[in-house]
Amino acid sequence: MGGPASIVIDDDSPPSDGHEALFRSLHARLNELESRYSRFRAGSLINLINLRAGSGMPTEVDTETATLLNFAAELWRASEGLFDITSGALRKAWDFRCGSVASPARLAECLPKIGWNLVEYENDAIHLPLAGMEIDLGGIVKEYAVDCIASRIRKAGASSALVELAGDVVAVGKQANGQPWQVSIRDPDGGDALLTLSLCDTAVATSGNYARTINHAGRRLSHFLDPHTGWPVDGPISVSTLDRQCLTAGAIATVACLKPDRKAERWLEDADLPWLMMKSNGNLSGPLLETASHQ
Amino acid sequence: MALALRAAAVAATEGRTSMRPLPAPSPLIKTLRGTIALLPAYQVLPAHGDAPPAFTEVGFRYSRYSEDSIDAERVIFGSSQRYDIDISQFWLEAPVGSNWAVALDIQNDYQTGASPWFVGAQVDGEPGVIMSGASIQDNRLEVGVTTRYFWTDGNAGFTVSHSDEDDYESVSAGVDLSWSNESKARTWSASVSTSNDRVSPTIGVIPVFIDQEDLDTQSGYFGVTQILSRTAVLRVGLNYTYSEGFLSDPYKLNDERPSTHERTALSAGFRQFFIAADGSLQLDYRYYRDSWGTDSHTLELGWAQNLAQGMVTPYFRYYSQREADFYSAPADRSATYYSDDYRLSTYGAYTLGLKWAINVGDWVFELQGERYKSGGGWGFHNSEAAPALVDFWRGTVGVIWRFD
Repeated sequence: MGGPASIVIDDDSPPSDGHEALFRSLHARLNELESRYSRFRAGSLINLINLRAGSGMPTEVDTETATLLNFAAELWRASEGLFDITSGALRKAWDFRCGSVASPARLAECLPKIGWNLVEYENDAIHLPLAGMEIDLGGIVKEYAVDCIASRIRKAGASSALVELAGDVVAVGKQANGQPWQVSIRDPDGGDALLTLSLCDTAVATSGNYARTINHAGRRLSHFLDPHTGWPVDGPISVSTLDRQCLTAGAIATVACLKPDRKAERWLEDADLPWLMMKSNGNLSGPLLETASHQ
Repeated sequence: MALALRAAAVAATEGRTSMRPLPAPSPLIKTLRGTIALLPAYQVLPAHGDAPPAFTEVGFRYSRYSEDSIDAERVIFGSSQRYDIDISQFWLEAPVGSNWAVALDIQNDYQTGASPWFVGAQVDGEPGVIMSGASIQDNRLEVGVTTRYFWTDGNAGFTVSHSDEDDYESVSAGVDLSWSNESKARTWSASVSTSNDRVSPTIGVIPVFIDQEDLDTQSGYFGVTQILSRTAVLRVGLNYTYSEGFLSDPYKLNDERPSTHERTALSAGFRQFFIAADGSLQLDYRYYRDSWGTDSHTLELGWAQNLAQGMVTPYFRYYSQREADFYSAPADRSATYYSDDYRLSTYGAYTLGLKWAINVGDWVFELQGERYKSGGGWGFHNSEAAPALVDFWRGTVGVIWRFD
């Protein structure tokens, strides 16, 4: 899932079957999601779909996967193609670990294999028509996993918990002492928290380009890639949004990071969720600056 | 697609607590939420343990109830003007610690006007009304306090209230209990209450024939609410009330009622939310019968439409009642029990109303208007209309402030 997980369940609201059984159940659920949706894992559903690209052989998907694909498709439409789960093919052109810039020839090779509109997806069966095409649900699965864990905690009868998975957070209820959970959004530059949120039954998701960048020709290139051009987006450094559920909050934040600052602001205003953006010049904007407390 | 990396840190500490509700979902968010709504992870969002309200809530509501003038042709003597009531409500509800909440409710009713004194015969033999005169003024003040305890699977409340007016005093107490099953899909509710009322009518322009009387009432309710699906909820409940004491209306000349009154009501409510329309259908039914021979059916149909900043709810209510065994107009004073009170007659009524709630930050503004009309032949049981059947308008404005 790309980062550490942290689950805090307040002792004053114990789950009905005890903490140990619940944590085992949560661990199993995370493993299940990882093994099904990780593109890195041999034998995962995503890996199988990608292996069958160009083979003419569709892969049947279960209801959960179909729903996540439908969500990705809706987000692709809403973002006018910027959020595209087929853009993973660009990883063959860019290597942010080594810090090398994609060559025009590699981009030209990858770009024709990108586009959700190319995907054959109907009757809960999916097929990638071109060899080398890939899908990657990494942009939504982590946030979905946070929601799944929070839901399982609620169903177990615990009314006070805090779930964090690699920076995405869901606050379940309040703390047992009646105070809301305090969640800080960290300064990407490594300083103190940008702000601290008081949360109750709310999710906060953060997307940012500061963790993986390439310095090229005096510019810091983001790992957020425009699927139309294959080139890094010159957009916000980070975006945080709040919603009842982490999946929608994360989706809105991720799409904002795929747009230039001004368009990102308009997108966030249209979504009308509480948000905080660190613009490409390091300035902060967004309604969360005015209030840091939500339920 | 890039993943967000570690950008948030969490800490369970005490700190600022001025939480605000999330805004109403935009069309984009509604579309995205609608796509994933079928996933189990999103079907039980509210299914966490019971907890005290997250906010302190302070509200004020003012209602104006205004009865239409009675048809002058049906008045034998007295004013044709009827009651107007100004109703002011104030409430405060606040969490106390992590398991308790306390609520204070205050209501003041100020009523003026006239009411039917008795039904007599007009020159043409048709029943007509002798009114009490337009000089009645009365003020009622009710204060109630509720304490409520919450635990993982439910909550329990204890309420005491006191109501006082010139000629009537009432003290009541009640406990209620609500608990859910493990999946939170089913919630049971139960409550019992008791009240002791004292009637001491004041003599004005019409005579009264009692000095002081008492009335004791006990009531119990049991109900269950079942979540049928992620968009549908069904509620059924049974209520039983027993009163013993003075049950007649001291301000009516011809009113002698039994000294006991048993009432049973079966109620059901159904809510179906439609995701595409972002609104819910509200269907409620209530069947009532009592030991005086009265029974009634109430059917209400409403549609609650979510708006960008609030909710609008038009509703229609239909009511049909069969008269009490001892009702007649004019009253038969030779019988053991008799009454010409139009409220005990056979009639039907409908109400058309509209509620509008507007959310502005931490504030909710409410507007409501409704029109009630009744007729003798509008119910399931056809009957000559009682001469004093009432029609009225009611308008309400309210404001609620939630803060932490």
